Amino acid sequence: MSLPAVSPDAPPRNVHGRTTSITLLTTQKPWGRFWMPFMFASARAAPRVLAAMDGLSFISFASWTLIRELPYNGPPQQVRRLRHAHLFFEVSFNGSWAQYIDSSVRVLTTGMYTFWGSSRRFPGPLPAGPFQAFFKAHEIDCSHYHCAYPDATVTIVRSAIELERRLEMFAHRAANIPSDAFEDAWEAFLEDAQEYL
Amino acid sequence: MSVRSTSIAGETYSLQVWTPIRPGEEDALRDYLEALPPEASPLARVPRTHMARWLIVPDMPVAPGTDLRDPLGGPFLLFTSNFDGDVDSYLHELVAQIPQEAAAIWSRCVGCPQPPEGAALKAYLHRNQIQAGFAFAAYPQASVAQIRRALDKRRRLIDFAVGAQEMTPAQRREEFLERFGPR
Amino acid sequence: MSIAPPASPQLEVSDIQGDILRAYGNSFDHTSYAFVQVDCPPEQARTWFAGLLDHVTTAAPWRPGEKPLTTLNVALTAGGLAALGVSGETVGSFSHEFRQGMATRAGLLGDSGVSAPERWQDGLGTGAAHVLLTINAQRAADHRRALGKMEAAMREVGGVRVIVRQDAQLLHGAREHFGFADGFAQPAIEGATDDKVRGGGVPERHGRWRSLAAGEFVLGYPDEDSRVDRRRRLPPAPAGVLGRNGTYMVWRKLHQDVALWRRTIAAAGARYPYGDARKLAAKVVGRWQDGTPVETHPHGPDPDFDAAAPGANDFRYGADHDGRRCPLGAHIRRSNPRDALGHDGKLSLRHRMIRRGMPYGPPLPEGAVEDDGAERGLVFVSFQASIFRQFEGVQTPWINDGNVFGLGDDKDFLLGDPEGSGKMTIQGAKPFFLAPQAAFVVTRGGEYLYMPGMAALRAIAAGAAG
Repeated sequence: MSLPAVSPDAPPRNVHGRTTSITLLTTQKPWGRFWMPFMFASARAAPRVLAAMDGLSFISFASWTLIRELPYNGPPQQVRRLRHAHLFFEVSFNGSWAQYIDSSVRVLTTGMYTFWGSSRRFPGPLPAGPFQAFFKAHEIDCSHYHCAYPDATVTIVRSAIELERRLEMFAHRAANIPSDAFEDAWEAFLEDAQEYL
Repeated sequence: MSVRSTSIAGETYSLQVWTPIRPGEEDALRDYLEALPPEASPLARVPRTHMARWLIVPDMPVAPGTDLRDPLGGPFLLFTSNFDGDVDSYLHELVAQIPQEAAAIWSRCVGCPQPPEGAALKAYLHRNQIQAGFAFAAYPQASVAQIRRALDKRRRLIDFAVGAQEMTPAQRREEFLERFGPR
Repeated sequence: MSIAPPASPQLEVSDIQGDILRAYGNSFDHTSYAFVQVDCPPEQARTWFAGLLDHVTTAAPWRPGEKPLTTLNVALTAGGLAALGVSGETVGSFSHEFRQGMATRAGLLGDSGVSAPERWQDGLGTGAAHVLLTINAQRAADHRRALGKMEAAMREVGGVRVIVRQDAQLLHGAREHFGFADGFAQPAIEGATDDKVRGGGVPERHGRWRSLAAGEFVLGYPDEDSRVDRRRRLPPAPAGVLGRNGTYMVWRKLHQDVALWRRTIAAAGARYPYGDARKLAAKVVGRWQDGTPVETHPHGPDPDFDAAAPGANDFRYGADHDGRRCPLGAHIRRSNPRDALGHDGKLSLRHRMIRRGMPYGPPLPEGAVEDDGAERGLVFVSFQASIFRQFEGVQTPWINDGNVFGLGDDKDFLLGDPEGSGKMTIQGAKPFFLAPQAAFVVTRGGEYLYMPGMAALRAIAAGAAG
């Protein structure tokens, strides 16, 4: 039996420059309403849990929220406590939608169970195909998505921040050393800084 | 002692505001939002904003193959934003910097104050905030301004480093101090 | 997490077209790619199509003395499937990117500016190309004869004609036009090319390698995802008989500005602190011209290097995290990162392609640095189970971007479009910035195609493919 195909492209309104957004709502199994807050607290207490995700260096922002009810604003809004708990997930990352999922499931397999394990119909992270279909089935498309630095990827931003720090230090030194010492200092700076350029 | 909000990641904040859309206004609101130009987003005028989005949630998605409908009772507008600093001053800024768009958008939602502006609008948005359970930021200490500045410096340094290969040592020193020296 | 041993079924080589799993070999060095347009009712076109099938070469191994003089293989575009009467519903079961076509996805591929589809050669990327016939021959006379027969068969039925014919031939020493040995580094496919496993497979711990699941390259077989699926499901494939023993094909005509390349490398090489232009060129590519990997031999080619030897490609980037042996953005490092992305090669193994391209056009004389106006370059051909994951999944994030390698906006210096940072960093104690990047390679046109299995071809010819 073969897997159904999932279209690999993100809708254009979910993309700004090189940054893509995903927004997801999944229904929780009953134990999710205890599991998710526990996972949130664990993640806050031990941020190393996210080291693998951080290491992939293509997610700029992400958040997870357990929603049980929404604030009430009076009629005609219907007062309803939701029947189930729902997990809300939003992320901004670099690269294509399908490449993101493909990389994530392979490398963040444990993390996938942590965050999606209590969502109904979660098919497991692997193989990637059904997981992509799971995402697609629960995804909400943006009507408008904005990024303040749309063409700078996570790696570029991190490099730029690190480089600025080193550049400031070097510029300060350079202004204060004798002119014939500049060349050596410049080469030493460049050797250290090349990975950020 | 106040508990640190769970929406915070370093110096950034992950905001979510859910507001129910007035009956019959969903299509008009969607059209309005989709017409906002990506290259000239109003959100660019709220400079503390790293990334933000407006979405229309027609209803809670139903897990495929299940009968687990959980009706919202109507579509919701969802606004999310990752920004620098605290939520109170951000909402203040949002409402002050893009008053026209904020009014056009949120006046289509149930419970929005009339007129849809100023402190009243800010309070409406704050009241409809849902706190994040967990927020992640890849560079949690960096503000939008700092990032922009750093990106620009990096670009200029790359240009310099490439061109410097053709310079004499004396030129290199002079050019470097000229462009990057302390002011 | 342990990976269960694959239950890899035997490959049905007599049903798979030839040249996919194993190359025909360098003796077949006269090639023609003929794009045929169907301009008649499907039944008529199928009459012509059926006449081809007895001549189509399969992957069944040749016994000694049975090597054919010429080979023929057949592939179709989405438009071609429809033109031969395959139903809309069945065409709809093919992959999204195949149905969209390469020209529509040009933005993703970096085909902009001089490489944009509006500037492509007539007949390519317009939807007019329906069927691709690939003819390979050992000798020129047989090549001409095969072409003649092809033309005659078309005239006999009528309503089908060649709209683009691209001839190609191996250059001396199996090099491509920039002078680099090419084509010998291929993936190790389980059950077909296990001999290439050292270097061509998935790099595992303790220096071991394993072959890739056949389903990464031929549909109807378990792929790498099937290995980790408890239910062992097969990857998405076209419906019915079309989905078995076929594969997707990418065809791209890439013009190479050899003179520009030589001038740029010569000028930069004069300033390169660690060597000459030859060494700089090797750093850009990741191999010396004879094929010696720069990772294993950063200072000069290996005089004993033999591209055909089983271990020729057995290297990893391993400890070379900073790119000081082989630059982080070198062409072969980008197109096949091996273990360089960490996580035991998990981020690379699903993005491998079989490559079967051939150079076209006369070589630019040795030492010439001015363009002579001749058309020359590479016909790039790849086979893969998923165009999106394996071809586009290399082209977009790895060739036309640098983010995943920590290289920001830098694109592949050799191949990438110059609308990026325009530079390449050659890492070292004295880092060298190679700039400006120019359009050394320009896309002249291309198509996404499907190369069906034999039973599928017969079903199409009989109007029974759904």
